[in-house]
Amino acid sequence: MDWLDQELKLALERKEPSPDFAARVIRRAARGPAHHVQRWLAAAAAVVVMTSAGLSYRHHQGEVAKDQVMLAFKITAVKVNHIQTHVKGAVR
Amino acid sequence: MNLLRGLAVAGCCAALLCAQQFTFNLDHLAAKASDSVDISLNGPTLQFAAKFLDSKDPDQAKVKQLIAGLEGIYVKSFEFKSKGDWSDADLENIRKQLRTPEWSRIVGVHSAEDGETAEIYVRNQAGKVTGVAILAAEPTELTVVNIVGAVDLDSLATLGGHFGIPELSDQKDAGKQKGPGKQKGSGK
Amino acid sequence: MTVLEAAPEIALDFAGLVREHQSMVFSVCWHYLHDRDLAEETAQEVFLSLHRNLASIQSAAHAAHWLRKVAVQRAIDEGRRRRRRPQVALADVAEPAALTPVGDPMLAGTLRRLVATLAEAPRMVMILRYQEDLDATEIAEILDMPLATVKSHLQRSLALLREKLRRRGLGGNKWIG
Repeated sequence: MDWLDQELKLALERKEPSPDFAARVIRRAARGPAHHVQRWLAAAAAVVVMTSAGLSYRHHQGEVAKDQVMLAFKITAVKVNHIQTHVKGAVR
Repeated sequence: MNLLRGLAVAGCCAALLCAQQFTFNLDHLAAKASDSVDISLNGPTLQFAAKFLDSKDPDQAKVKQLIAGLEGIYVKSFEFKSKGDWSDADLENIRKQLRTPEWSRIVGVHSAEDGETAEIYVRNQAGKVTGVAILAAEPTELTVVNIVGAVDLDSLATLGGHFGIPELSDQKDAGKQKGPGKQKGSGK
Repeated sequence: MTVLEAAPEIALDFAGLVREHQSMVFSVCWHYLHDRDLAEETAQEVFLSLHRNLASIQSAAHAAHWLRKVAVQRAIDEGRRRRRRPQVALADVAEPAALTPVGDPMLAGTLRRLVATLAEAPRMVMILRYQEDLDATEIAEILDMPLATVKSHLQRSLALLREKLRRRGLGGNKWIG
């Protein structure tokens, strides 16, 4: 195994989810599928979903904008860092 | 009517130019690129996005600090499968726009061996920074960034250490410690 | 009731399976999607799918194999759904905790980002090879892909990563400044 293999094993080693992940999954599985929702409950849920859709969409727009901002600055950071590295190398 | 139409088009173009500080003219590269990014975020969108940035996350907090007072950020980045898909003329079109008195090139690096160039320009008005342009090119990658507004250059220079990018001194140490040919044992 | 009769030791130990394999499932999703929240959401779906299909699980080893295969499929599906948004090479988020200390966090981070730039199939091949330490035959079975294709993805991906590291000065510094 060469150095890149070893570094990839380190880089791609397993990570932990949030500390409460297992508990959330087990709770969610225990709730089971919703077979017994009555029609009026389903209708009420639909109304809630529709009225909150506008808020959800705005939130979604905000998340998309946030992702784009983060991406833009990540690209900028990589390029600035790249330039700084080589300027520093040239100065030395 | 033609005159009116022409003025309307000119007006639209002017409006676009007011957003970015120079035109990129790189859309023709999108068709050749294997991967591309096109981000255009004006001031109001940046401030809207800022509300969704988590101050507890170090990377997001850094970005939140950077975008305060900005009027826009515009990024075009292309990756190509083969060399020769972009030409120096593409970059020269942009450089021409950055040769005005307001713009100063503060750093430029070039590697003849790798065919890589990178430049940072700063726009100054009345003694204040009002924009930054970054041009970065490799044989199979081309990136142009325009950050519009009161850019905090110190904060921009210290983006290293965020987004998983090493800080400059650490990266140099890492470059000394690691390298090809290092054997660490066997595996599959 | 049927679930309990078919595989009582597995049905009673769903919680145990979650705790035992959460790291594996989450990591496949995270290394592929590079979005922590999305990775946890996808990982949760994998386990809920396990819960629904518990009757078909024959043993602990079968459960592990099943989870890995479904995690891979769900991660790829989720990645395809996200491709509607512009995707680019350098996407990353704050990293979750590692189980063991990483030797060189700077290089590790760079490698993770570079792996994230690979196309769908080679990216998952690399994850299964280096995260799960599977050989090419095992990877071919999980991805339902010819063995030769798996080997080709591995070879090309490694060559590409070496080149990209070299250009970033991590395989040697060529700049003249």
